[in-house]
Amino acid sequence: MYHTKDKTYRLAWIIAIPLILCLLLSGCSGVKQLEIFKTEVEREKLNLKKPTALELEQLKWIIITSENAEEVFKKLEDQGIDPVLFGLTDKDFELLAKNFARIRNQLKITNDLLDKYKEYYEGDLKEKDDKK
Amino acid sequence: MLGIRLFFIGILASAVIGAGVYVMKLRSDNAILKANQIKLESAVAEQQQLITKQKEDFEEILAANQKMNELVNALKKDLDDLDKRFNKKNRDFGKLSIEKTEVMERIINKGGEAAKRCIEIASGAELTEQEINATKKSEINRECPSIANPNYVPY
Repeated sequence: MYHTKDKTYRLAWIIAIPLILCLLLSGCSGVKQLEIFKTEVEREKLNLKKPTALELEQLKWIIITSENAEEVFKKLEDQGIDPVLFGLTDKDFELLAKNFARIRNQLKITNDLLDKYKEYYEGDLKEKDDKK
Repeated sequence: MLGIRLFFIGILASAVIGAGVYVMKLRSDNAILKANQIKLESAVAEQQQLITKQKEDFEEILAANQKMNELVNALKKDLDDLDKRFNKKNRDFGKLSIEKTEVMERIINKGGEAAKRCIEIASGAELTEQEINATKKSEINRECPSIANPNYVPY
């Protein structure tokens, strides 16, 4: 009885040890599955409204020379306007015109730059407007 | 004798079971490798898309830069033209104003109106049909044709 039990145990060990070895060895050299993570979160759009275009008032320039000064002031009085004028020399007028042209250019460049940035980062503006 | 037989049976059994397990493992590895291959292929395709998008972005950036440079140059030309209008052929703006006061007043007011419109356009105002369609010198805004009259070609 004892003899048979002993043999059975031995047989069990004889089968179990190589089996465990096989499992252990094959378990160590496995191919791992690839895991690709994608966690792209789009930044919220700023969506600031573009400022309304300017609507400027029309100015009237009056040229005063030593010859027409009296006539000009009289005309102003006749029209009920205070007979006072804020003057510029011809050179200063030229500078004022150029200064305004420079401001205008800067405004245009800044505005276009803003449009380009918006178009680049937030897609085509015209397309968006059409969709609306 | 029985011990040796049992030993061989054990080896045989474990070899068979081991082979079975190994084949199963190989099959599972194969499935994983196939899945990996699919993932890699899709990753390559995504990378390709990304490269294409980057290429498009670079082209867009170049085009935007070029447009900005063109605009800056056009605006500089408008400024140079303004300077020429005041000083063309040693023109004395002051003297002319004394000699032809009313004419000069009319010209200055017309110029002022055009300059006002230029600032409105620069701040984002829409162009009118008339401004868009202007192609002749008499039709354009002489203060800033580059931004007010896109169809005007200087001649």
